[in-house]
Amino acid sequence: MSEKKSLIRLKEIYKSFADNEVLKGASLELSEGEIVAIIGGNGAGKSTLMKIIMGIYPLDRGDIYIENEKIHMSSPSVALEKGIYLVPQEPRLFPNMTVEENVVIGFNQNKAALGEKLRELIKQLGWNISLSRKAATLSIAEQQLVEILRGLLRQAKILILDEPTSTLTFNEIKSFFKLMKDLQAKGIGMFYITHRLTEVFEIATSVVILRDGEITVSGPVSDFTKEILIKGLMPDNAENVKEGIENNQVDHEKDPVLKVDSLSGYGFNDVSFSIYEGEILGLAGVVGSGRTELAEAIFGMGEITGGDVFLNGKSIKGYKTKEIINLGLNYVPEDRHLNGIFDMADVRLNITSAILSRISKVFINSKKEKEITQKYIDDFRIKVTGQDQSLKSLSGGNQQKVVIGRILSSNPKVIILDEPTRGIDAGARGDVYKIIYQLKKLGLAILLISSDFEEIYELSDHAEVMYHGSNTVELSKEDITMDTLTQAAFGA
Amino acid sequence: MEKWKEFKGKWEISLALFLIIEILIFGFINPRFLKIKVLMNSANDFVTVAIIALFMTLVIITGGIDISIGSVVGLSSVVMGLLWQELGFNIWFALSIAIMVGALCGAFNGFLVAYVGVQAMVATLGTSFLYAGISLVIIGFSGISPAEGITGFPDSFRALGHGELFGVPSSLIIFVLLIISVYIILHKTTYGRRVYLTGINKAAAEFSGIKTKLVILSTHMLVGMGAAISGMYITSYLSSSRADHGATLTLSVITAVVLGGTAITGGEGSIVGTALASVIIGLMTLGLQMAGLSTQFVGIGIGLLLVISVAIKSSLGEGNLFSDIKRKIKSKVSG
Amino acid sequence: MTIIKRIFKKREITALAFLIVLFLGVGLRNPDFINMQSVSTVLKGSVIYILLAVGMTFVLLTGGIDVSVGATLGISAAISATMIRDGSSVVLSILVALAIGIIIGLINGIGVAIVKVPAIIMTLGILGITRGTMIVYTNGRWVENLPDFFKKASQASFGGLNHYFVLAVITVALVQLYFSKAKTGRFFAAIGDNVEGAVLVGIPVKKMMIIAYVVSGFCAAIAGVIFASQVGFVTSNTGFDIEMVAIAACVLGGVSLSGGIGSVIGSSIGAIIMTAINSALIFLKVPSFWNKSIQGLLLILIVVSDVLIHKYFQEKARKQRLSAKSSFVGGDE
Repeated sequence: MSEKKSLIRLKEIYKSFADNEVLKGASLELSEGEIVAIIGGNGAGKSTLMKIIMGIYPLDRGDIYIENEKIHMSSPSVALEKGIYLVPQEPRLFPNMTVEENVVIGFNQNKAALGEKLRELIKQLGWNISLSRKAATLSIAEQQLVEILRGLLRQAKILILDEPTSTLTFNEIKSFFKLMKDLQAKGIGMFYITHRLTEVFEIATSVVILRDGEITVSGPVSDFTKEILIKGLMPDNAENVKEGIENNQVDHEKDPVLKVDSLSGYGFNDVSFSIYEGEILGLAGVVGSGRTELAEAIFGMGEITGGDVFLNGKSIKGYKTKEIINLGLNYVPEDRHLNGIFDMADVRLNITSAILSRISKVFINSKKEKEITQKYIDDFRIKVTGQDQSLKSLSGGNQQKVVIGRILSSNPKVIILDEPTRGIDAGARGDVYKIIYQLKKLGLAILLISSDFEEIYELSDHAEVMYHGSNTVELSKEDITMDTLTQAAFGA
Repeated sequence: MEKWKEFKGKWEISLALFLIIEILIFGFINPRFLKIKVLMNSANDFVTVAIIALFMTLVIITGGIDISIGSVVGLSSVVMGLLWQELGFNIWFALSIAIMVGALCGAFNGFLVAYVGVQAMVATLGTSFLYAGISLVIIGFSGISPAEGITGFPDSFRALGHGELFGVPSSLIIFVLLIISVYIILHKTTYGRRVYLTGINKAAAEFSGIKTKLVILSTHMLVGMGAAISGMYITSYLSSSRADHGATLTLSVITAVVLGGTAITGGEGSIVGTALASVIIGLMTLGLQMAGLSTQFVGIGIGLLLVISVAIKSSLGEGNLFSDIKRKIKSKVSG
Repeated sequence: MTIIKRIFKKREITALAFLIVLFLGVGLRNPDFINMQSVSTVLKGSVIYILLAVGMTFVLLTGGIDVSVGATLGISAAISATMIRDGSSVVLSILVALAIGIIIGLINGIGVAIVKVPAIIMTLGILGITRGTMIVYTNGRWVENLPDFFKKASQASFGGLNHYFVLAVITVALVQLYFSKAKTGRFFAAIGDNVEGAVLVGIPVKKMMIIAYVVSGFCAAIAGVIFASQVGFVTSNTGFDIEMVAIAACVLGGVSLSGGIGSVIGSSIGAIIMTAINSALIFLKVPSFWNKSIQGLLLILIVVSDVLIHKYFQEKARKQRLSAKSSFVGGDE
């Protein structure tokens, strides 16, 4: 690899936010035609490192060399000038501009000439994308293509791809990898951030593991196996969740607590399943397979166009969210920051938000609120300095526990957990799994939605796989394996 | 750093300190300022702003804003005057209807914002034209001179603005009563809790089963009512009902709310803060006058207070000028 | 449906159509309304609003708002008028007024872009300060007795079109050209559309935001000088509430208050509409007290229909996207 020209070299990068040291001397190099996969848990510092390369965050200490020349990366325009382009995880297009405007904005050259060049480029790549469409009308995958076009038109030599496949479908991923290989052949270097280890072996030339702000493992992909990488990613004190949990038998003789009968709506079609007391039903599926739309429709927040939902034998179709909560169904939403937490409010306000009218009439009954809050803080081992600590200052795992506490405070019979462990560290993940088991023991019916198939595999009594809006495959406990789940979820 | 954070957490305390310093300074310039009677009577002037500001706090906590309040003040004043003079209604009945009209105006704002989905600023900009326009139309048809308005109200009604109880002016009594009521509404009831939760995260509030649209509509309705109450007070205090009574209130009201510690982006704020800020602004008006400066300086003072207080608040957060400078200094020192 | 969609997307066109319908409709009742003289009166009267709306458009595109323009107009009118009255050269007086506009804009811009004070708060505060300063400067008195040549300048016309209106048209044309052709032209809208995306493509966000407020202050200052020349005196109330008319004009012309959408052509058509309603009422012999309600009602109707149409298409697109996804049951794409 030494004969290849070095494109960028980072030397001992340090970066802190307030008192939180995110990067602790990370060093990294990328050469021509290389694809360096960067893996690491949430909060390991991947995004921060990439934003430093892009000049979005100033670094505290350390050096950046581009083609062996030391660079002061003061702003994104410096990075762009040096041929670096970041394709962010969520595309940052201008929704009210056309595709063409989105790509050519910020260039110094004549717009007509640029447009010409762009058309040429698209022809070369063999893509089919209309340049006059407004960005707001594009799918996520199309938006990502626009982002990449931006980088290519700038003749970027270094592309940073931040989890580009997380929102793509199976076929889109295939063509995306083909594109990456084309670019690689042209000598473009790429940093490839991902959570999916299989992809590392499929596409990357070398791999680094970023853990706790430091690069702990690095080398050519051929030196590693999946097992080694997993080991490298695991925190030192990881504990096995399943240990010490006996599996209680689900009684299928009783009536199901939640019964979904040929339910159709926007994004899902003809979905049927039943969940019984004390059962965890895993609903597996990739992002965009209609899982969240289904859950929101059951919860009274999305339109139902056909079929029916029964809670304890009673149809709840067309009920308002508040009534559904009162009837005993509650939902832990997928996007915690967007839909789950009240970040500026304290723990107590968060936990009691769904039961305000139940514990108080007109005036707030603070005594009762405090009792309830304390109960969940104790039960779930939520790490707080007090009930009045604001959610903003809690870790992701503790925030999620607060959300689950809020859901449970309404005394539900059924809970829907939508990606309950996304974005939280391994330790807290174990805690959340334990909570889920406790709830199962208490006799709750649980619908566990996840794109993390290991999670489905570990927790579920029974699994359904969503693909293109329908639950195409049903798996009993014995049949749930990573293979069967993956195959069904990707429509293979 | 820690000190700053603590300071931020106790915005009301710093407001109270500022208020004491303000009183001392003005008292030093003109000792007459320190007379209890003078201080109490200053409420006559600032209560019009304060009443609306108390209710406006709720709207801004939900993340909204209402710039039509000035027009609602005028409209309610005109409605009351006309019902009383032209249609011969009992004055208190006319007053009740005027307050209901204010609530209705607010409800329409709230409907546009919450149910139609128009931005609060745009919706209330439109209705501020509309409500002011309606007052002008009503006056135009009734043939009353807009410059003079309707005058000659009975003494019982004028007592609302000029009366005293145990030597305390009615304005101060109204102010205190409203502080207590709105304080209870916002800080002690489940409704107030819903207002906060809606402002912090509307989507999460929906997931908690809170009817956020209704919450937003109701806060606008309350501020419309507040504006009408304020309109009744001005009408009584100045003994005339006119369409342009509220024309200059918007700046002061929003200043009082924001200076009181409510974030214009929603989610945080307190009634005590708004009340203190209203008094600070009110006494500044009085103090500048008594210090021999013309009233023109009041606008400058209020403007400075608004800009500086928000600049300080935003500099306490992350990711702005001051923390950037701090970080640069730090990195220079360590690197 | 797509035709309707396109028309509604080009808000300049609907605004222009409305303006034409207004003129024709009123002209039908009273033909005097569409003669040269009354049209030119409307256009003349709209100059100030056009200039304010042009400056405001820069700020609104970035997702901000500037409510201080009325006060900026007032103070620059008062200062330039006082200087001219007292015998200073016109050029110098105008330059001083413009400098004041630029300084006010700079303060607003720095406050919003760097200190991160929310735009509404920053410009509201500056509104209070500027208005107070103006009244202190004039001692609350009117500035009167302006020399005749200065007042007459507002009467001058060029091929039947008022000089000032020609100036406004040229300004609008140049700005439109800048927005559509220059490299930095799209930057303002880009910031309002997606500020993080703007940072990523290397747009100097803070600098452009400051420029937007400076342009707004500058335009308000020009409007102030023109006001003094047109009206012939400056009261202590000059410019009061005029920012609301300017914002309303922008909204009528299709500029979004959440940023990212709009053009100066649209906002200046909006400005003409705001003025035309006033004259139209006179020609319809409707009492002028109807003016404000009609403006308000129109504004509400337009924004409400904007929002509803937008929501309808967005919801439809979302449903289509979702349905498309769920219809490929088990099949290959």
